[in-house]
Amino acid sequence: MQPESALLLAALTLPFLGAALVPVVYRLLGERTAYYAAAVAGATLLLLAGEYGAAVAAEPATSGVTYQWIPALDISFTLYLDGLSLLLGFLASGVGVLVFVYSGGYMHGESGQAKYYATMLAFMGSMVGVALAADLVALFVFWELTSVTSFVLIGHYQRTDAGRYAARKSMLITVSGGLFMLVGFLVLAAASGQADGLSRTLTLVGTPNSLVANAEAVRAALKSSGLFVPAIVLVALGAVTKSAQVPFHIWLPNAMEAPTPVSAFLHSATMVKAGVYLVGRMRPLFLSETAVPAWMLVVATIGLVSMAITAILAIGATDIKELLAYSTASHLGLIIAGYGLANEYGVETGAFHVLNHAVFKAALFMVAGIIAHEAGTRYIPDLGGLRRDLPITAGITAVAALGMAGVPPFNGFYSKELLFEATYYVASHEGGLFWLYPAIAVFGSVFTFLYSIKFLSLFFGSKPDGLDAHRPPLAMLLPPLTLAGIASVIGLNGVLGTFDVQLPVIGEFLTAVIDASATEPLEHGFEYHVPTTLSPYFLMSLLTIALGVVSYPFYDRLHHTVRRLRALPPVSPNWYYDTAVSGVNGLSRSVARTVHDRRFRRYAFTVVTAVCLLTLGGYAAAGVTLPTFDGVAVTIPVALVLVTAVLGAIAVTRAPSHIAGVLTLSILGFMVAIFFVLSDAPDLALTQLVIETLLLVIFLLVLDKLPTWYGEVRRSRLVTDTLLSGVVGVTVFLTVLLTTAASPSESIAGRFVELAPVPADHGLWILEHGGGNNIVNVILVDFRAFDTLGEISVIAMAALSVLTLIGMRGHGRGDEGGESA
Amino acid sequence: MSVSFVLAGVLGLLFALGTFLLLRRDVVRVVWGVTIIAQATNVYLVTMGGFAGSVPVLAGHGGHGGGHVAVQDPLVQALVLTAIVIGFGTTAFALVLTYRVYQEHGTIDLEGLAESSERPETGGER
Amino acid sequence: MTTDRQPTVIARTVTRVVVPFILLTALALLFQGHNLPGGGFIAGVLTCTAFALVYIIYGRESLRTLLGIAADGPGVLGGITGLYARLFAVGLLVAATGGVVSMALGYPFLTQAVLYLSDLPVVHALTAVPGVGTLELASAFVFDLGVYAVVVGGLLSVLSVVGRE
Repeated sequence: MQPESALLLAALTLPFLGAALVPVVYRLLGERTAYYAAAVAGATLLLLAGEYGAAVAAEPATSGVTYQWIPALDISFTLYLDGLSLLLGFLASGVGVLVFVYSGGYMHGESGQAKYYATMLAFMGSMVGVALAADLVALFVFWELTSVTSFVLIGHYQRTDAGRYAARKSMLITVSGGLFMLVGFLVLAAASGQADGLSRTLTLVGTPNSLVANAEAVRAALKSSGLFVPAIVLVALGAVTKSAQVPFHIWLPNAMEAPTPVSAFLHSATMVKAGVYLVGRMRPLFLSETAVPAWMLVVATIGLVSMAITAILAIGATDIKELLAYSTASHLGLIIAGYGLANEYGVETGAFHVLNHAVFKAALFMVAGIIAHEAGTRYIPDLGGLRRDLPITAGITAVAALGMAGVPPFNGFYSKELLFEATYYVASHEGGLFWLYPAIAVFGSVFTFLYSIKFLSLFFGSKPDGLDAHRPPLAMLLPPLTLAGIASVIGLNGVLGTFDVQLPVIGEFLTAVIDASATEPLEHGFEYHVPTTLSPYFLMSLLTIALGVVSYPFYDRLHHTVRRLRALPPVSPNWYYDTAVSGVNGLSRSVARTVHDRRFRRYAFTVVTAVCLLTLGGYAAAGVTLPTFDGVAVTIPVALVLVTAVLGAIAVTRAPSHIAGVLTLSILGFMVAIFFVLSDAPDLALTQLVIETLLLVIFLLVLDKLPTWYGEVRRSRLVTDTLLSGVVGVTVFLTVLLTTAASPSESIAGRFVELAPVPADHGLWILEHGGGNNIVNVILVDFRAFDTLGEISVIAMAALSVLTLIGMRGHGRGDEGGESA
Repeated sequence: MSVSFVLAGVLGLLFALGTFLLLRRDVVRVVWGVTIIAQATNVYLVTMGGFAGSVPVLAGHGGHGGGHVAVQDPLVQALVLTAIVIGFGTTAFALVLTYRVYQEHGTIDLEGLAESSERPETGGER
Repeated sequence: MTTDRQPTVIARTVTRVVVPFILLTALALLFQGHNLPGGGFIAGVLTCTAFALVYIIYGRESLRTLLGIAADGPGVLGGITGLYARLFAVGLLVAATGGVVSMALGYPFLTQAVLYLSDLPVVHALTAVPGVGTLELASAFVFDLGVYAVVVGGLLSVLSVVGRE
């Protein structure tokens, strides 16, 4: 079933339009722009929700909506809406509504609000774009747009060093990951060209000729060219950097420099979900039928390892937002691991946890914002006993944190249980080392439990002295409350499921999300409930909780151990990042210092030497042979003219004064003009003669105002300069010989000669032919008129520059004087 | 196409002389160097067209074009024609730049300019 | 060039005679460019030499009065330089507009067409007159006019700015 294309386009363009209007709206509404942005997000949400029916019934081979974009390169603009993209679109727009409302309270009194709301809306639009784009190029464009907007948002406090560092770090890591992904996309496109029954395509899904619809053929083509695993790794690199997986997780904790609503939006619900989304989207394409697919080995391993490591790192956090950042990376690892595992429980884990995590983590970030805003600190040791001051917030936190911990019957429990089930199945089927999967899953989950309880404990226990929290405004309380409500409903549905009662929509929607990434659609719809039997995976859940409860008293000791360990340079990816960045910075600075020493001679020397060496090296590498000497091959007049020209040039270099030099320079110019006459180029000769005269005039005009300084030549310089000139001479000599000898016999000029004159039979209008006998002129004004337009622009440019140089003189003097004063 | 060692040698010499001037301290000489190299390049391009044909203007005055005649490569001539005029434009620009540099800094010695711009308090190019 | 010495009478007389001829030649080159050696570039630079000659022999002031321009304004674009600057701007516009027109008619940017008038019966009779030859209207000529204007305007603004210093 095809979605309504106009509605999809509207949902995609609305946020961008809204962003463009923000400056005007901000002037009218001031801080209430937050509610305008929320309304835009809400409208987007409704537009997407209107396509719910189409999304649930989407077919990978037919449901795409295609617009022409660059047909010559097989690039289309295809939009595709299925369960997975609808989920991501819902997260972007739905959490968007809540975050904008929340921002209305949080950003009160902050500077740069117009920029903030415009960028947030643009980001939301890019995110909807990532969700809807089914063409690899469009997907890449929106993908990088989210990186760029996130760069601006993380660096919102652009005057602080930490803000700039964080913004640059996230940009460098996510964008370079995106470039790897682009290479992966191109590999896919190349493979599609060789696949059976498929012509070269960049469309991922949604059309009969798309990659996912022909997954098997594409896989076969990739495998036959040996690019299967490289393609997986390249695409995974894009996802892994975006979703902050080990060892690229380091940008996410720094990104907490952003205002908290940004963290709640980008770093829990949306941008980091883009990587996960890509994994889910690519899963049916890459997951082959073999027992142990390469996809699982790469993706599930990355996911599980990241999940465990970042959960441990979260224990070492002292800042509540830092804790949440590491926890986000950990949960994204869980989702990626789920999508990596090659059974249906794996997909269910991934799909379900995308939703669960977004709900509880966005709520927790908003709670963190409330704490920072109302208690004035985010430092964990300074916080405690907030329950009395913030009772509603405490309730929200309880629902969200217990969901994050995976405690039944809260929402996170069900998806985590599915992960255990999926790993358990893989391990029991494959045996051996695959038992590490469930082991790591339990190991990482213990730490997840620990830090979740730690976060919750901020609201309990005794209140430190001097800690005083105010009541948050309604705008900041309502959004997390809504999220906690959604989380409760998901949890409640599980409890009801135990008694075979299902709330409407949830199961159907999740089935659609799961089917989007599954290799085969689920036979029965997706349902979940609190386990009633003591299955192995329920035991794993209980084991996790038990281990967590037992080790919670040692939390502080663990905290300090983690901090000590992560400070060791060789195990800290931050150390590698900082060393590499400062190393590259230093290198570029030292190169700039050596090459750009403000001396023109050095610039000329470097460029000329490099060009000569490259040219000569190229000749040597190609093993060219010189043509044999077959006589002088020029007529005597030409030879005479040329020799005179060279004599003129020599005289110029030896000229005792500027005037003498200019006059001898004209000798060269006039000789060139005569050379043009002799080589049958009347237009050139005419132009050259006239220009030579004008050149003389302008030289004399300017020289009149310049000093007669002509500088002595240093002897040491003379040697090197002569040497370089010699090298240039030899290079040019060889180039002229080789190029004239190797000219193709059939020159393109022949076509121009044929087309230039009026043809023998023609109508009143002549379009193909130039209709002129002077071929040179016809080429200039007709065949290559575009070039000529560029060339006359250069002349206009030169004239403009001269006008500016003389006319703008004196402008900017003022501050120059001020500087020297 | 016959290969002309004479032309190659002449062009090599012209480029060498131009490069030599390019490396001088005197800005005016640098401009000369650029001019010489530009002229030599034009000659080179025309050389590429060969010398076998005739003037690339067909017989007859606007009438129906004659048959296929061997003419000089008109494409390189079109290229060089614009190159000559542009060359003049850039040379004029370079000269005016030189003049302005002299006005601002009182010298057209590139070494002196480099030294004065290393001391920020004297202004220099910004 | 400082004018501490007046040019000789011979130079001034020759200039007076030669300049119209140069301009005429330039125009001829412009118009015949499609079929004989010539064209916008050559005509443009030749026109510039005529102006340069007047300027060198008679000085800047005479050129201004000749063209009937008000005295130099305060800015660099005042007076005669402004006229030149406007000329190359207009030239660029003319050349580009021709391209846009061809786009509007559904052809690629800067497609040129020739209207071959000689085949019209009325004109055909005219071509029988000796010395008239064939008649054609090429849209490329408009483009060439633009080139001419840019070259004249550009080079003359450079010369006049430098000369004013």
